[in-house]
Amino acid sequence: MMIEKRSPVKTALIYILLIVLTFITLLPLLWMVSASFKLSSEVFSFPIKWIPETWHWENYVTIWQRINLAVYTFNSFKLSIIITLIQLLTSSFAAYGFSKCKFPGRNALFLAYIATIAIPWQVYMLPQYVMMQKMHLIDTHLSIILLQSFTAFGVFLLRQFYITIPDELLEAARIDGLSEYGTFARIVLPLTKPAMATLTIMSFVTVWNDYMGPMIYFNSDRNKTIQLGIQLFVGQYSAEYGLIMATSVMAIIPVLIVFLAFQRFFVEGIASSGLKG
Amino acid sequence: MKKTIAVFLIALMAMTSVFAGGSQETTAADGTTTLTFAVWDYTQNVYLAKAIEAFEASHPDINIEVQDTPAADYITKLNTQLNGGSNVDMFLIKEADKTKTFYDRGQLANLTPYIEAAGIDMSAYNGTDANFTFDGGTYGMPLRTDQYVLFYNKDIFDAAGVAYPDNDMTWTEFEDIAAQITSGEGANKKYGAYFHSWNACVQNWGVQDGEHSIMSGSYEFFKPYYEMVLRMQEAGTCMSFAQIQASGLSYTDVFSQGLVGMLPMGSWLINTMVQRNLSGESSVNWGVAVIPHAEDVPNGYTVGATTPICINNASKNKDAAWEFVQFISGPEGAQIMAENGQVPALSGEGYLETFASAEGMPEGVMEGLYATRISPDRPAMDKVTEIDQMLLAEHQLILLGEETVDEGIANMNRNYAEIMAN
Amino acid sequence: MAQTATLKKKSGSLKMRQALIGYSFIAPNFLGFAIFILFPVIFTIVLSVMNWDGFNAMTFAGIDNFRAIFRDRVFKSAFWLTLLYVVFTVVLTLLASLALACALNKKIKGRDAFRSAIFFPYVASMIAIGAVWKQLFESNYGPINMALRAIGIDNPPGWFASTDWAIWGVIIVAIWKFMGYYMLIYLAGLQDIPAQLYEAATLDGATGWQKFRKITLPMLTPSTFFVFMMLTINSFKSFDLIYALTTGGPGTSTTLLANYIYNQTFVYWDYGKSAAASIILFVIVLAVTIIQFRGEKKFTDYL
Repeated sequence: MMIEKRSPVKTALIYILLIVLTFITLLPLLWMVSASFKLSSEVFSFPIKWIPETWHWENYVTIWQRINLAVYTFNSFKLSIIITLIQLLTSSFAAYGFSKCKFPGRNALFLAYIATIAIPWQVYMLPQYVMMQKMHLIDTHLSIILLQSFTAFGVFLLRQFYITIPDELLEAARIDGLSEYGTFARIVLPLTKPAMATLTIMSFVTVWNDYMGPMIYFNSDRNKTIQLGIQLFVGQYSAEYGLIMATSVMAIIPVLIVFLAFQRFFVEGIASSGLKG
Repeated sequence: MKKTIAVFLIALMAMTSVFAGGSQETTAADGTTTLTFAVWDYTQNVYLAKAIEAFEASHPDINIEVQDTPAADYITKLNTQLNGGSNVDMFLIKEADKTKTFYDRGQLANLTPYIEAAGIDMSAYNGTDANFTFDGGTYGMPLRTDQYVLFYNKDIFDAAGVAYPDNDMTWTEFEDIAAQITSGEGANKKYGAYFHSWNACVQNWGVQDGEHSIMSGSYEFFKPYYEMVLRMQEAGTCMSFAQIQASGLSYTDVFSQGLVGMLPMGSWLINTMVQRNLSGESSVNWGVAVIPHAEDVPNGYTVGATTPICINNASKNKDAAWEFVQFISGPEGAQIMAENGQVPALSGEGYLETFASAEGMPEGVMEGLYATRISPDRPAMDKVTEIDQMLLAEHQLILLGEETVDEGIANMNRNYAEIMAN
Repeated sequence: MAQTATLKKKSGSLKMRQALIGYSFIAPNFLGFAIFILFPVIFTIVLSVMNWDGFNAMTFAGIDNFRAIFRDRVFKSAFWLTLLYVVFTVVLTLLASLALACALNKKIKGRDAFRSAIFFPYVASMIAIGAVWKQLFESNYGPINMALRAIGIDNPPGWFASTDWAIWGVIIVAIWKFMGYYMLIYLAGLQDIPAQLYEAATLDGATGWQKFRKITLPMLTPSTFFVFMMLTINSFKSFDLIYALTTGGPGTSTTLLANYIYNQTFVYWDYGKSAAASIILFVIVLAVTIIQFRGEKKFTDYL
């Protein structure tokens, strides 16, 4: 990328703005961390007490003893990773079909994909449940894997990136003797790493944070996920907010690691180097 | 192509059924029956585990598998399961007014033949079974009862030199006492009273007389209570609705942090407070009294809810399920509940004494639970949930001063008519 | 004659071959999608003209469900509130996420940290978001109103305690929560713009703003389409944020379509009405998509 000279005033302004923004976006994190060291009766107060009077470190021990957090964490990882992988694989295939192949009914099918995103999940939850019940998949991880791996979101996202790849580039590859599959694997995939990184982050986060799906489909303790685990500290009449926040802080760490690892693909100039505009 | 897709679809369907591991044989080879029992907050409701343990000990041929769901989503999940054709055998109905909906769909087993065969005297349930009786059949056994009582903080009363609430108090006296015990400013302020943000915590006092209900349709009977709460907010003798909403405080926190003198709340809080004090999380010095009443309403009239236990009409093990239902809703179950901080729906046999003598109970709990009439907070009628939501919306507007009491009541009346007509 | 016929046949079989390859690419995803998503969604569309208790046989209701929701005071108010909410949330979040992506695409110090921080609200616990924002917006002692008073606004808004202002509070928090998420898509989109385009423009003496308008914006069209669609759909659908902040109140002043649909499904168990209400959303999204498709065609021609 070309070197540009920016005025120091402008740079300083951007930094100040970013720092203020970061402060506001991190307030809930500060609150979560602070609350995770408190007794539940101290968590809510007006005004907010940012520093706990006494530090209840034991919250981070208690959460592992009171619930099967290790099992839930494992399950969350298992589901998030499997679903993300299936999404990456099948969505990238389908997105290539929708953006670079020509076949009858292509636009109609794609419209069907997008249209399903518009329907709130709660509304078609019941037919899905009946289907899973008939397949005897209730209380199995497979139910959530099947229901969440083939959403329209991934196909839509990747298609939007694939259509920016000039057709001439693919044409050249075909002339060089690459099959359609080869073109996809050798040309398109390497060029759209940032898009794949985006889908990885988004898919992982969505599955990791999903509460309603596992709540409806999982009955046994051995199948439950971390988000269900957090809810075990919420009772009808009282909630143990200190423990809830300690678990929530733990639950957010993997998400931030995934984010940090994959956002590295958003580096200016790398992906575009192979393109001739 | 279509054919190929069709073949693929069928193949996939076939494949997924291979993965099937969910279908359980409910009767094992050794003749034991496994029953699924849907509950919420299993770990907090200790009596459930104790009752199951006792039942399994006396019925070695029946195993009970608990399916635990967080309270907030319990009814959503139960509803989905029943609609989806799940074979859960027994369940509690958390929002008792939903019993009617399940009955209308034919999802509840009629218990009357079992009750008659077992010769159970239903009068021991004090009429709470009426809520679960439809077209002459009983579809749920009353399990636990919760009623509104008055919690008070003895330290705040002592500091103000005011006598503790007696078990026969009017709402006018309540308002006066709240003013007397309010003290301090800012972070040190002790409020005389606290009405939680639910519409029930104002509207119940209109329903308390047993003649009106939230399904009455003309809501003028709420007026004195809204006026009272608004007066108290204005005078600063109760925490304002806006502050309760902004702080996110729960009534349990407010009370166990010692911020308020009097809290009208459901009897479920008794056990929570006992646990908080025993664990050392709270050190508040508290007591329980009978809920205040209007001048023209007899003492002992209160509002409450009874939770039923039901059998799924689709259950393949209804007879075995009845064994458990009879056990937990009967004398043995009631005794276990009373020992573990839960008031049973079944009356008599000194259950209240047992309940009140548990470790950590303050003196006078039994007298505070005195009730001659418990009106349901939400009667099991059609559209009661819609009406309740509508009343909540107007409740918020009145207490935030966005509309006057008269405007609010006029809107309630109009919205009621619209909802019922739609 | 015979030659052209074979040619035609050949091009026919070539088309057939191409189509088969196309189908083979979408098949793995489409199979799962058709069974687990599309089929239940079609079921929902049917449901909108049915009466159903969720368990027993359905009966045909015609347009009764639609009539009922349009008579419903809460639906009508939710519909207009949703339009207000969607217009402001979509436009402002789109601008904010684009600006952030451009700023955080540059080589600046602490870039990874800034990116993570701005993405964080998307994954923060709803309880924490509710607790923090409710207190920030508190009308008497909350920091926001204190600041407003300090700069001379004597009568600052009541925010979540006021029917007029609660929706604006929700919009502000929604932008704050979602801007980092959509920033990601723009960040990925920015990587796809060939550097050569900028180099050529620099040689021609283009200013930064000109490059942004003539290169960055047009090249981001597909990303913008995606962000716009997802933002619109998610603004129509999101209810958990509002649930955490106001639970739809005070009154029904922040009850949006999504909350309405949620209540119809999970609270009132009225499946026909919830299906009908979602069909309205469905139609809006479909219309927007078709319009966007036209615009996209122009874009691919431009490439």
